[in-house]
Amino acid sequence: MKYDVCIIGSGAGGAPIAYELSNAGFNVVVLEKGKEYKEEDFTKDEVGVCRREMFTPPLKEEQHVINERVEDGGITRHVGSESGWNFWNGSMVGGSSNLMSGYFHRMKPNDFKLESVYGKIEGANVVDWPISYEDLEPYYEKVERVVGVSGRVTKHKFSEPRSTPNFPHAKLAESGVTKWFDLACGNLGFESIATPRAILPLNALNRNGCSYSNFCGSYGCATGAKGSARAALLQRCKAKIITEAFVYRLESDATKITSAHYYDKEGISHAITAKIFVLAAQAIESSRLLLNSKNRYFKNGIANNSNQVGKNLIFSAGGAGEGRFYHEHLTPQEQKDLMQPGLFFNRSLQDWYEYEEGGKKYKGGTIDFLFEHANIISRARRELYKDGKLIWGEALAKKMYQSLTTSRVLTFEVFNDWLPTDGCFVSVDSEVKDKFHMPVGVINLWGHPHDLKVGEHLAKQAAKVLEKMGAQDISMSISSSPPPNLVAGGCRFGDDPKTSVLDRECRAHELENLYVSDASFMPTGGSVPYTWTIYANAFRVADSILKRIKS
Amino acid sequence: MIFNKRRVFLKSSFLTTAVILFSGSKLFGAISPLETLSLVQEDLFPHAKEIGIKSAEYLLLILDHSRITDEEKAFIRNGVQWLNEESLARFKKIYTKLSPAQRQEMLETISTENWGARWIESMLTYILEATLGDPIYGANTKGAGWKWLHHTSGFPRPTKAYL
Repeated sequence: MKYDVCIIGSGAGGAPIAYELSNAGFNVVVLEKGKEYKEEDFTKDEVGVCRREMFTPPLKEEQHVINERVEDGGITRHVGSESGWNFWNGSMVGGSSNLMSGYFHRMKPNDFKLESVYGKIEGANVVDWPISYEDLEPYYEKVERVVGVSGRVTKHKFSEPRSTPNFPHAKLAESGVTKWFDLACGNLGFESIATPRAILPLNALNRNGCSYSNFCGSYGCATGAKGSARAALLQRCKAKIITEAFVYRLESDATKITSAHYYDKEGISHAITAKIFVLAAQAIESSRLLLNSKNRYFKNGIANNSNQVGKNLIFSAGGAGEGRFYHEHLTPQEQKDLMQPGLFFNRSLQDWYEYEEGGKKYKGGTIDFLFEHANIISRARRELYKDGKLIWGEALAKKMYQSLTTSRVLTFEVFNDWLPTDGCFVSVDSEVKDKFHMPVGVINLWGHPHDLKVGEHLAKQAAKVLEKMGAQDISMSISSSPPPNLVAGGCRFGDDPKTSVLDRECRAHELENLYVSDASFMPTGGSVPYTWTIYANAFRVADSILKRIKS
Repeated sequence: MIFNKRRVFLKSSFLTTAVILFSGSKLFGAISPLETLSLVQEDLFPHAKEIGIKSAEYLLLILDHSRITDEEKAFIRNGVQWLNEESLARFKKIYTKLSPAQRQEMLETISTENWGARWIESMLTYILEATLGDPIYGANTKGAGWKWLHHTSGFPRPTKAYL
C-alpha cells in the first residue's frame, strides 16, 4: 500500500508530524529503529539503564567514527567500538525524548538572527534563520499545551515574548535549597529563573503526574509525566509504528523520493512507498542516511547536489561545574532540606544571554542548576580517588560513607552556541560498516575557540552563585567536547539552495516530497537545550505538510 | 535466585578455564581465576562482605553479560594472570598464598602501573555495582548496600535483571 506520509524516526522531530497528520485523518507510517517500551517497562534500574546502556545499541553492532581535530591541526581517528566513544542516545519509540531531563527553554528572538545582531565571527558559518521567533512562537505555545510544560513564568532582562501569560501546568514541587539559591542570586543582583520542565506535576492530558521518584534524566518515565514524544504524542494518535525497522536507503527519481527501504530485526529488507517522506532520525543519522542514498540523480547523496548535507553540524557548547554542601556548615533543618530526595531543583540563570566584554557585545547563554544525579553507583564511583590516587579498602568505605551521607553536590550546566564551522560535519566512512553492512556515520569534530571563551564567562558567573550559597569544593569544566544528547545541524534550512539543504518549511530544496524535521534543520542552535525547539518546529512543519496535502 | 539461572554460564566461563602462569620465562602452572578474583574483591572492599554483598557472584554475571565486551572480559582475566605473575616475581607465591599485608603490597604495586590502576578501578566498579545495584541482580542482599549509605532507590524498581 502507499501511505500518505512515511516518517523515519519517532523522536521529538518525527512524532509531532505523526500526531498531527494521523489525527487529521491521513494514513501515516513511522519507521523506528528501536523497540517499543511503555510506562510499565520503565524502571529505575541503574545497572541496566546507565551502566549497561540498555536503550542504545552495542557499539560492536552500530557505531560512529569520530575524527577529532587536535591542537597541531592533525586529525585523530576514533573508531567507536574501539574507543568506547558513544554518540547514541535512545534507540526506542519516542527516541531520546524518553530519557531527557526535560529542561525546557525557548530560544530568544535574537537567536534567530545571530549574524545580523552579533555580526560575523571569523572561522564560523553564522547565518540568520529564514524564519523569526514570531513565526515559531505559536508552536512553542502549542508544545506547552500538547506535550505539557510546567513552571512559573519569570520576567527577566532577556525574557522572550509570550502569547500566553503562564505555563498551562503549575511548577513542580521544589527543594528547600532553592531558597538559598534565590537569596544568593538576590544578593549578587542576578535574576533567578524557575526552570520550565516538560514534566506534568499532576495528572493531566490523560497522563499521570510526576511521582517524584528522584530519578528523571537518563530514565524512561514510569508515570507518563515526562513529555516524551511517545507518551505525549505517539500513544495519542493512530499512526502505524513499525519498530526495529532500520532504514538503510531512500530511493528517488530526479524530483521525488519514491521509497524507503528498511531491514527488520531478522535482516529482511522491506520497502515503503508514500506520497511524502519525513526524515527525523536524529541529526547525525539523518545526514548519514541521505549520504548513503546515492543514485544516478543524486551522485553525492539524496538532496546533496550542493554538497551541503552533513555540513555545519553543531552541538551545545559550554560545560558543567559543581559545588558541595557539607552538613557541618548547616543547621539541622538545612541538612534535612539538603538531603530531601525527590524534589526538583529547578533554577536557571539567563542574566548573560547577551553580555559585553571589552566594549564588544557577545551572545552568551543559559545556566541550569540541578542536584547531582541520584544514581548511587556513579556517585559512589566518584569517591575512588583521593588527591589523584586510587584508594580502596576501609579508607574507601569511610570516604564513601562520609561523602554520601553528610554532603550533597549541586551542579550547573552551561549552554551556549556551538558555532557552525567547516570543521564540524557528518560524512560516511569508507571502511567501517554497521551490522546492516551500511557505512557508519563519521562525526568530524571541531569546536570554535569563541565557544570556550563564552562558556568560561558563564561558568564563572555560576561559580559565584555557588560560592555565595556556601558551597565548598567548587569546580568547573568548560571544554569543546561535544554532548552526544545535544546535537543539531547537518541539513540546515535557508532560502538559498546553494548554502542550505532545506527550505524554510524544512522541505528539501531538491526534492518535492522530502522533509527533514529533526534538529538537522538548525543553522545555529541558540543557547538553550534543543528539545522544545525541535518539537515546536516539527509542529510547524506538520502544519505546512497539512496545508499542502489538503490542497 | 538469579545465579542459579545462569548454569549455562559455567560451561563456557572465563572463570572456569584455568589461567596459565609464567614465572620469568618458565611455565609455572595453572590457577583458577575465580579464587584470585574473590580474594582481590575482599582485599579491595572488605565492607561488601561484611554487609553480605555477593560481589564475586555478581562478577560471574558480568563475565557472561551480553553488554560487556569480549575485550573487557579478557582484560579482567588477563589482570588475574598479570597480578599472579607479578606476585610470583616478588614473593615467589601466587596471590592467594600471600599474607594480607603482602597482598596489599601487591595491589599498591600494580596500582602504579597503567594496566593495574585500570584493573583495580574496574574491579572496584563491579564491586560497587554489586553493592549498590538493585537487589534484583542478586548481590545487594536485602538492599544492604543501600541501607549502609541511607539511599532511597528510585521507583518502580526492576522486576527482572537486565542481562
